[in-house]
Amino acid sequence: MKKRWLLATAVAAMVGLMAGSSEAKTFRIGLSNGWVGSEWRTQMIEEAQAAAKAWTDKGVPVEVVVQSATVDAQGQIGQVRNFINQGVDAIIINPNSPTAFNPVFAQAKAKGILVIATDAEVSSKDAIYVGIDQKAWAMQSAKWLVEALGGKGNIVVINGVAGNPANEMRVAGYREVLKTAPGIKILNEANANWDQAQGQQTMQNLLATYPDIQGVWVQDGMAAGAWRAIIAAGKKDKIAATGEIRKDFMTVWASEKLTSGASVNPPGVMASALNVAVLKLQGKAFKDGIFGGVYGNALYIPIPFVDNATLPARLKEAEGKPGYWSVTATVTPEQAAAFFK
Amino acid sequence: MKRALPSALSALPAALPAWAITAAALTVLVIVNGLLQPGFFDGTVLQSNLTTFLPLVLVAIGQTYVVLAGDIDLSVGAVAALVNVVTVTVIAATGDGPDAILAGLAAGLAVALACGLVNGLLIGVVGLQPMVATFGTAILFSALALRILPQAGLPVPDAYWQTYGGAVLGLPTVLLILLLAIGFVALLARRPFQTWLKAVGGNRGGAFQSGLDLRRIRLSAYLISALFAGFAALCLTGETASGDPLLGQSLGLGSVSAVALGGTLLSGGVGGAAGSILGALLLGMIGNVIFFAGLPFEYQTLVQGLIVLAALAGGVLVARRR
Repeated sequence: MKKRWLLATAVAAMVGLMAGSSEAKTFRIGLSNGWVGSEWRTQMIEEAQAAAKAWTDKGVPVEVVVQSATVDAQGQIGQVRNFINQGVDAIIINPNSPTAFNPVFAQAKAKGILVIATDAEVSSKDAIYVGIDQKAWAMQSAKWLVEALGGKGNIVVINGVAGNPANEMRVAGYREVLKTAPGIKILNEANANWDQAQGQQTMQNLLATYPDIQGVWVQDGMAAGAWRAIIAAGKKDKIAATGEIRKDFMTVWASEKLTSGASVNPPGVMASALNVAVLKLQGKAFKDGIFGGVYGNALYIPIPFVDNATLPARLKEAEGKPGYWSVTATVTPEQAAAFFK
Repeated sequence: MKRALPSALSALPAALPAWAITAAALTVLVIVNGLLQPGFFDGTVLQSNLTTFLPLVLVAIGQTYVVLAGDIDLSVGAVAALVNVVTVTVIAATGDGPDAILAGLAAGLAVALACGLVNGLLIGVVGLQPMVATFGTAILFSALALRILPQAGLPVPDAYWQTYGGAVLGLPTVLLILLLAIGFVALLARRPFQTWLKAVGGNRGGAFQSGLDLRRIRLSAYLISALFAGFAALCLTGETASGDPLLGQSLGLGSVSAVALGGTLLSGGVGGAAGSILGALLLGMIGNVIFFAGLPFEYQTLVQGLIVLAALAGGVLVARRR
């Protein structure tokens, strides 16, 4: 019985070798996601799978292996270990911690595996980051708010989870912009944990506490909740507030004629990272001095913006998509080639 | 049909321990994983798997003694987080050398014992309900961890995680830790303390009347549990090379599941830590096999839950037969 197994394996291996010599090598890429529970993450994985298929259709076979579950940093390290033991060519990870992966990424690199973090930056020198600059994301919408208010007025801020690295980068971003606008006064900065319902509740409290609010800077999906509170208070025409990028919200934005603007953190970041990964696996070398960011390992990608002028076009893109669909953008293989020599 | 399963089970030897199903399931999973994953039995792959499983194994060992006495410790994950941030903070404050690392380890374990003391006093002496009390202290310990290190960071010296990922005395460090833990379990199994624990868990009134010091025994169990959560935290620090106040959140219920899978009754009085080690390894292997079986990721968590339930149900059927 055992001999037969060995024989079958040997034959399979030989067939595989012969097939391999005539066809292009298949790149195996592991995708690790450590948090389930928002459609944004689902869309992120689906777009990465679609990007892999596009490569395959072009004659560059790319196979993705997905691990996606709500785990803590330790559990996600287990996901990475499985990829290493499986012998993938590259790992793309939306990491649960900025620092906890340093040793396991070092192990991956020692085995010649390319590691790319996306959506949240990591401190490891053995990995690179492909995604948006969270600070620039916040600065863009803060600038919009300053302009929408004509440079003066009272505003409130609703942030995500205190202590979360992305949140802290965003806070630094809008503060830097608001420092240059002396006419803007921040009445209060609250945390609502990136939860839509908490965002709505917090906005209700702020509206009740400060009758004279002209502007709101609020992050992500909490914007939908905050705007609901603003509309319910009958103040939608007197307040300018940042928005978010899901179809459901954009529909309300258009029908209620809100004054809003939203920086886009596109779910296509993982697909963008995959396109960069495949080019690297094909043996290309990165241009010198191209990496930036706090850890010096980041490739920042463009951050789209939606405002009242571009909203109709964005809604047109969203036609036929489900309500939770997010405005997205991907760095195409052609665009990604600009990162390489 | 309804009786077919119990009667089939009754054909098994009567002396079969409750963790036998877990041991059998573990063996099957190891074989299946070996077939699915070429190279599973390579030294480096085994070591990497053990590194993943070790924290839960350690916490499950400590949890067993609490459960044997009829109590429960839901705070182990929070204890691990607190020990982790204290260790990295102390190391960062005292420098980079071996002295700093030793100071960090000592401070971490001291904090673990302090946490165990708080739990033990609240439950053994004040008389609070174990589940509610440790749920409460978990919130307290987590809040302290966030207070000490508000954001993940503070890398430990390379020597720390390189030693943990490497070898000591020719053995992989993780294997050495596992062997030491098994040694502790074997030692304690021969001591009267474990018999007292079972007496306290199985028949608390009787244990009291026979003159056992219930407070002291239950307090000791919580000290052991917290100490092992501390060991797990030091391992996690070696694995992540940094501090993270949100570390170890899955350890609490994970360790209780491992203890139950290992054949220890959650009502107390019956069981042992050897089974819990098997239970923790089984939980880890289930995740591995599901991954290497190539199941679509949308179904992985679902299948994992079903296998854990099946293993638990198997254990219960074996236990009920007697």
